[in-house]
Amino acid sequence: MNPTRSTTTPASRRRRSVNRVPRVVYALLGVMVLLSVFPLYWMFVVSTTDSATATSLPPHVLPGGNFLHLARLVFDTVPFVRALINSLIVATTIGVGQAVLSALAGFAFAKLSFPGRNALFLFVVLTMTVPAQLAVIPQYLIMSKLGWVDTLQAVIVPGLVSAFGIFWMRQHISNTLDDELMHAARVDGATTWQIFWRIAFPLVRPAALVLGLFGFVYAWNDFLWPFIVLKSPERYTVQIAIKALQNNRDIDLGLAMSGSFLATLPLLVLFAFVGRRLVQGIMEGAFKG
Amino acid sequence: MKRLITTAAVFASAVLLVVGCSPGSGGNSASSGSKTFEFWSFTQINQKADVDVYTKAHPDVHIKLTEVGSTSETAQALTTALAGGKVPDLVLIQGDDLPKFMQSPENFVDLNTFGADKVKGNYLDWVLKQSTTKDGKTIGIPTDVGGMAIAYRTDLFKAAGLPTDRDEVSKLWPTWDAFLEVGKKYVQATGKAFLDNTPTSIFFQAVNQGTERYYDTDHKLSYDKNPQVKAAFDLTLKVFASGISAKQASFSSGWTAAMSKGDFAVVSAPSWLLNQIKTNAPGTAGKWDIATIPGGSGNWGGSFLAIPKRAKNPNAAWNYIAEMQSPAGELAHFLSQGSLPTTPSVYSDPQLVAKTDPFFSNAPIGKIYTQSVVGIKPFYIGPEDGTVGTELLNTLTSVEQGKVAPANAWDTALTNVKNALRG
Amino acid sequence: MSGKVTAVTTMLGPATAAENTTRPTRYRHIQQGVRERLAPYTYVAPFFLLFFVFGLFPLLFTFYVALFEWDPIGEHHYVGLANFSQLVHDPRFWGALRNTFSIWVLSTVPQLLLALGMAHVLNHVRLRAATLFRMSVLVPYITSVAATTIVFAQLFDRDYGMLNWFLQLLGLQHVDFTASVWASNIMIAVMVAWRWTGYNTLLYLASLQAVPRELFEAAAADGANGWKQFRHVTIPALRPIIAFTVVTSTIGGLQIFTEPLLANTVGGLTCGAARQCQTLTLFLYEQAFGRFHFGYGAAVGVALFVMTVIVSAINYLLVTRIRSERP
Repeated sequence: MNPTRSTTTPASRRRRSVNRVPRVVYALLGVMVLLSVFPLYWMFVVSTTDSATATSLPPHVLPGGNFLHLARLVFDTVPFVRALINSLIVATTIGVGQAVLSALAGFAFAKLSFPGRNALFLFVVLTMTVPAQLAVIPQYLIMSKLGWVDTLQAVIVPGLVSAFGIFWMRQHISNTLDDELMHAARVDGATTWQIFWRIAFPLVRPAALVLGLFGFVYAWNDFLWPFIVLKSPERYTVQIAIKALQNNRDIDLGLAMSGSFLATLPLLVLFAFVGRRLVQGIMEGAFKG
Repeated sequence: MKRLITTAAVFASAVLLVVGCSPGSGGNSASSGSKTFEFWSFTQINQKADVDVYTKAHPDVHIKLTEVGSTSETAQALTTALAGGKVPDLVLIQGDDLPKFMQSPENFVDLNTFGADKVKGNYLDWVLKQSTTKDGKTIGIPTDVGGMAIAYRTDLFKAAGLPTDRDEVSKLWPTWDAFLEVGKKYVQATGKAFLDNTPTSIFFQAVNQGTERYYDTDHKLSYDKNPQVKAAFDLTLKVFASGISAKQASFSSGWTAAMSKGDFAVVSAPSWLLNQIKTNAPGTAGKWDIATIPGGSGNWGGSFLAIPKRAKNPNAAWNYIAEMQSPAGELAHFLSQGSLPTTPSVYSDPQLVAKTDPFFSNAPIGKIYTQSVVGIKPFYIGPEDGTVGTELLNTLTSVEQGKVAPANAWDTALTNVKNALRG
Repeated sequence: MSGKVTAVTTMLGPATAAENTTRPTRYRHIQQGVRERLAPYTYVAPFFLLFFVFGLFPLLFTFYVALFEWDPIGEHHYVGLANFSQLVHDPRFWGALRNTFSIWVLSTVPQLLLALGMAHVLNHVRLRAATLFRMSVLVPYITSVAATTIVFAQLFDRDYGMLNWFLQLLGLQHVDFTASVWASNIMIAVMVAWRWTGYNTLLYLASLQAVPRELFEAAAADGANGWKQFRHVTIPALRPIIAFTVVTSTIGGLQIFTEPLLANTVGGLTCGAARQCQTLTLFLYEQAFGRFHFGYGAAVGVALFVMTVIVSAINYLLVTRIRSERP
């Protein structure tokens, strides 16, 4: 691929230079969007009608008017507002924590040389192999020794660091902060911390934001560990609250879908506000130079 | 941007501090005096109603009720708690989950020390046996039993030319073979399925009607040698072969949907299933009735209240048990919630006998279900009961799904059980 | 050089730059010397501290437990490697292994291919409504797993599900997605792929931003259509991130748990009457929490860990090979 060789004039080359997107591609994209959104939409439909809708054929795909009734039932059955607050606290702390702590470690692995760096990084990668379910009982024992059972910090603290986050940050910092810049900063007398906080971190802001958002979403949707360690209804996160809506042996779909939809709504709202900024941030270049 | 992150970090740390230092976190339960206790129940059994009754009668007592989740989730949560965490003062354990806990009775308070031995006579002995250890310690007090009957759709029976009156219907099927014949007639007349499924509605019920189940009288596993188990198994295969099953696994979403659409006409129903029928198929109110189950007796389900050893306030918990699970307490619970009492002294109580349910054509549910438990021959339920039963049931489900040939089913079942028992 | 220094000063802020030159030189150097040397370790310390407590200890404890017959609320007694020899002879273990592997293949391959294609398209500079498309592919990722699994299970229902209704319209027979290994694995794979495709698309897209526009423009000028651009510009540029996503989705694939747990095809923890869709991690959970056999569950966990290490090692070797091949 030899980009410089061309026999056309610069002007005409520019005019022809970028293909237009074929219509069939738009159609396919449309299908992808539909598939992505449909299950959520259907959840909304069932939460505005009732269980019978979920199983009626031909499929019932229009929303009904039962939303308020079911929603009220949800709020009556479990302390939902409290659960939303709990989830907000947990998810925000974890999102911010993951972004900052991963950036710290990623910076160290990417830009600082210290003995044992490669071995430690390999270790970080290996830690991604440990499935969460494995850790549940020992982790619970630790929590009970610390007296943290049935507290929010029991959910927050283990989730504050992410091996993937370190991997991701290391990648981005490597790409954006070149050694010359660092060297110049050192010559100027900057400490490592100053380099990190005032140069590196701002440079990877979009990537950190993405990581923080991912951490937030992960924490919001996590349920196995919170289910095991949180016991009082006032401490429930929103996922545990909607699980509590499910019956003993089978599911009242209307109620469960209503709760599930209400649990997803905050994320959708957040996404509506932050999402565009996020995507634009990525577009503006998580990678400079 | 930086300020945002800094602010967020500060906020997060502040929250952590607040959460960490707030009362009610960490080791202390919300205790204000010795009249408070923590109670774990599962959902759909409405212990809340009982708790409300109790606290109204004893305003100085504060009960912190948590509906943890399904019965198995509650059992799992209890296991985790017993393994090294905060335990509740009182816990509701469903009958299927109880054997595992009975293997380690040291985790619970022997209720005889609170006086359970004095009230033991109030309860059905075959139920209480399940929560009594070999050396006579009482680990749990039974709260309810399921009993067993057949719930059937009167409108669908009428359309098929079958009688609809519950006594007549009960006479139609004194045995399972007769039941099968009725089913065949129904399918012929309507072309639709008669029964929801065979593993749960046939096998699970038939196998509970014998004198022994998976263990023999020496408390040794005997599922493979017990002819009663094999007979129930073969019966199930026979019913399946006749094609009267809708093949909807119990409690699956398809089963729920089929129930509300009338895609099957009968289902084996313990007393607690009636509430689920009401929730799943509200549009069918008044179209159901209840007849006796072939074989006459049966039981499915039932729960126990137990007190973990490390409970902070076992006294308060016992007071609750003593009052709410007394014959009078269980009767009251039945009249308001429908859970069948385990205290036979109230079975002849006129209020119980007269209790009817309009959803089920005013069937006298008290009378029908208590009759079904009276005839039960107690058999030993051992620690591996759940495992054996699950594997047998799952094999029969595989037959219904067409994954296992009926001719191989018994051998496959035995192999599956053996594999499961190893681990 | 001076230009860069100015830039640095601006980035550091005049206050800091000034501060760096006003404090007594020698003291500052010693103080900073120690701090500087410790800095890397303090930066990675939070991760390692938390990991040791909440990651490593539980893992080691699991290895320990695997050598016992361990009832969580009863007795433990040492059995050495008996759990492992039992595991090797247990058809349920091999079944779970097969399920885990097939679900992983069925979900990862289409997912990553789709994500690649979508990232390429979404990267196009002339794409209209680009932001809308980019945002909507992330929607699956943010919805709750518990909720969407129930939704999908309902959509896949044998008699009343939308998918079978659709198949019927096409003249095909109803499929019981809970009955056969293939169908149930496909069902779970669809759930997993649906959730993660958008996420991977975003990863690829973010990486594609680093590819200079000129490469695409030049390719277009040279007459390459979209497909050719995809093959000759996009894919080579994305090789490292593709390798990365293969690694992460492999590791994630080995740990698939929530979807089979909640698909709840016959109740219980087996995902199917014959464990048609029970993955290794679900099998672990069933043994530990369902049957109270912590030792045996831990043994499954150890097996899972070993497999993950092997797979990661293979992936790592491939990645370094790919890296060294880059121009």
